[in-house]
Amino acid sequence: MPPLLELADAALHLDGCDAVEVALSRSDSALTRFADSRVHQNVARVDGEARVRVVVDGSRIGVAVTSELEPGAIRRTAEQARAIARARPPDPRYAGMPAGGQSYSSAGRDDEETARYCADERASAVADMLAQLPEGVLGAGYVQCGRVERAIANSLGLAGSHAGTSAGASILASGEDSTGHAEASGTSVSALDFHRLGARASAKVALGRHPRDIAPGTWAVVLEPGATEVLAQFLDYLAFGGKDFNDGSSALTGRLGEQVCSEQVTIIDDPLSPLLAGVPFDAEGTPKRRLPLIERGIARGVGHDRSTAAVAGTTSTGHALPPPNPYGPVPAHIVMAPGGASLDDLVAGCERGLYVTRFHYTNVVHPLHTTITGMTRDGTFLIEGGHIVCGVHNLRFTQSILGALSHVEAVGDRVQVASDAFFGATAAPAVRLAHFAFTSATAH
Amino acid sequence: MDLGEQAEVGLQSIRGLPGVEYADVRAVREEFESVDVRDARVEGVSRETTRGVGIRVLVDGAWGFSATSVSDPASIDGAARRAHDIARASGRVRSGDRVVLDDTPPAQGGYVTPYERDPLEVPLSEKIDLLLAAAAAAREVAGLSWVEVSTDAWRRGSVFRSTDGARVDQTVVQVGGGLAAYAVGGGEVQRRSYPNSFRGQFVTGGWESVLALDLPGHAFEHAREAVLLLDAPDLPFREDAVLLLGSSQLALQVHESIGHATELDRIMGMERAFAGTSFVKVSDRGSLRYGSPLVSVTADATTPGAMGTFGFDDEGVPAHSSPIIADGTLVGFLSNRETASVLGERSNGTARADSWGTIPLVRMNNVSLHPGPDPDAGLTDLVADTADGVLLLTNRSWSIDDRRDNFQFGCEVAYEVRGGQRGRLYRNGTYAGRCLDFWRSCDALGGRGDWTVWGVPNCGKGQPGQVARVAHGAPTGRFRATVGVH
Repeated sequence: MPPLLELADAALHLDGCDAVEVALSRSDSALTRFADSRVHQNVARVDGEARVRVVVDGSRIGVAVTSELEPGAIRRTAEQARAIARARPPDPRYAGMPAGGQSYSSAGRDDEETARYCADERASAVADMLAQLPEGVLGAGYVQCGRVERAIANSLGLAGSHAGTSAGASILASGEDSTGHAEASGTSVSALDFHRLGARASAKVALGRHPRDIAPGTWAVVLEPGATEVLAQFLDYLAFGGKDFNDGSSALTGRLGEQVCSEQVTIIDDPLSPLLAGVPFDAEGTPKRRLPLIERGIARGVGHDRSTAAVAGTTSTGHALPPPNPYGPVPAHIVMAPGGASLDDLVAGCERGLYVTRFHYTNVVHPLHTTITGMTRDGTFLIEGGHIVCGVHNLRFTQSILGALSHVEAVGDRVQVASDAFFGATAAPAVRLAHFAFTSATAH
Repeated sequence: MDLGEQAEVGLQSIRGLPGVEYADVRAVREEFESVDVRDARVEGVSRETTRGVGIRVLVDGAWGFSATSVSDPASIDGAARRAHDIARASGRVRSGDRVVLDDTPPAQGGYVTPYERDPLEVPLSEKIDLLLAAAAAAREVAGLSWVEVSTDAWRRGSVFRSTDGARVDQTVVQVGGGLAAYAVGGGEVQRRSYPNSFRGQFVTGGWESVLALDLPGHAFEHAREAVLLLDAPDLPFREDAVLLLGSSQLALQVHESIGHATELDRIMGMERAFAGTSFVKVSDRGSLRYGSPLVSVTADATTPGAMGTFGFDDEGVPAHSSPIIADGTLVGFLSNRETASVLGERSNGTARADSWGTIPLVRMNNVSLHPGPDPDAGLTDLVADTADGVLLLTNRSWSIDDRRDNFQFGCEVAYEVRGGQRGRLYRNGTYAGRCLDFWRSCDALGGRGDWTVWGVPNCGKGQPGQVARVAHGAPTGRFRATVGVH
């Protein structure tokens, strides 16, 4: 296979264009899925994409995309993009393409073992997790791995390429009347402890047996990293996008420099973090860098692409998404900084509260208030006197994220990575919050 | 090679491997075009083409699947061998049961979506002019912050071949459009959408369907309401309120609390770890009182013009129309060949994959709530018949638990209903409840003239994640639920 960057040449020299940009990707991914302690879905996919953006007459822009990574197809795609550009009006918000000579940092990891991890190895990993479950407890979840090559080039001389791997696993253990969940993600399979994941999910099933009903209301909570990540991801969606910020529809519009939550909260976008499967450039070829979003509770920044940055009177922060992108830039490598408390410390410091493993099907209720709603699932427990005393039936929460993060009592000392297709990769610690609003309950 | 030749290469490759009990090959080419306008500016235009071959194989009662976008014979042969290796690996982790497929006869046939104007052949300038005209109409409203207008179109050509002898060629064309008017101020972001939120209304058909929406003709009134919402009070909290839901919101309620809840793969635990299971059990069929006697629901892949309409599903099963709820009682499920076989039945044709690169899952087609008995009853009549309640229109957000029971929805607009009249406007309206309580409380539905099939182009499910384009018919309905947030 030719290097991806070489394929860009098929489009870069198209006649009659002011500028041409080609973003390429080539991926090989696989996912083994299991339920009722058997592998029931097991898939692999080799895919490719050439996304060509063409500019004519100064600011008429066309975008065309093909999955065929072959010079003739890429050339035809560029011609299609040019035809689109010629048929549409100019875009006064077009902010140009970056010039050549960009310098890119290293990001993510290209791990050979992960790239070669085969179906037999994934089956062994599943078996390892399932082996931790006692008789009568069934397991469901997945083991995933993949490698993606990316390249970007434009007719101004910009060129960059990158390859990175990712891996992840989860297990949901289901007993007679309780469930337990554990998950891990990273840049290599060697970082995944399948044995530990299975054991952790199994322990929660045992701990949660004979769950009690619990009254909705405002509770202190200990959130595992998988639950904290949901708060961080939705805050990203509601607050950290440059287009929403410019429109006045971001929760941080007009609030940069203000204390928006507890001093114990620091959130950055860190595409260069070794924890995350990052890429060193964005969809326009702008180099990615670490961007503080909230530092010790003070709002510091939002993510911009070239277009939203021009409107805001600043420069791109390297958060462009693939064009055309009517939704604007969004940071996709959110890292919430750890604190100093172990998970046991977080529980021990809670006199009466709820312990939450994960949230389910969360959605926005009020964007500017950062209010979201969702359910707990797969490991929700009552804490009394600094100890987990029993499992409880699941609850619906309806809660402002910034409100919750304004009452942080302690932050966990370890971050866990979650990979989410919509929000990108996120890393967050466990937290203990003084107030969290639960608005209804279930019977499971 | 064309799609048929690619599929034949894949079929011959997989047939030649040892121990193959069953295999199918899908060669797919899909084109997608989107146009986005914001105010007087064209914000984005793109055209995407993706194609590839997916090969699914059953070896010793276990599944393997591999797909490739590289369509030369060697790559397709490589995908077949990889699928075979994966199936053998799957067989290493099993809890006893082997996958057995139902006895659906191998289909041979074709299908093409009927349309007047291919939406992917309409000149770009015509689309842009329509969207800009709608945006201009909305911008006549003082106080409007901005308006977004969009149109999307897909054309998917697929060839299906199986070792059983199934041969299906199909082209499905889908199209849609809509607008969303925004007003920002006083700590609020308010939106009114037409004809539905999340990019509008979607159907199978041609460009004529988008023109029929008359986006410019509806832009002003929706923009005006978005601005009015800024000064409206929040919907007050109230338990056990009488709730009137507009057709498009009720369609999403069907989607979340009936469609997903009756997917047989969910019920059998196959989605347990991610999207969850269902409160519905296999043994509930024929006995579970799901709703009031007014509530009947059918999964119908033959509904003319609906977004979830097709000729064959992605296992080659011909389109079905299957009752799911009859007069309030659960009578059926959505199934594929694997899950139907567990019940000793045949699939009702709802196995769908979102691309050549993914496996078919049990997915909705057009899962529709039947209209009420009075064909002339509509929103106005239901309001007139309501002494004290709340009317909620157009979805803004949705959330439901991992058993499809405890739900909470947000809507763009709410109105007080008092003495049979639509009254005060409220903003930030939500309602919440439990699935069976909600459907059993249904005491009025609009009739045939009030009934619309709403396209839902963003239904997520599965790992790796897939996005299905489905639809739901629904009229206006009346229920009881908790409204507002305490």
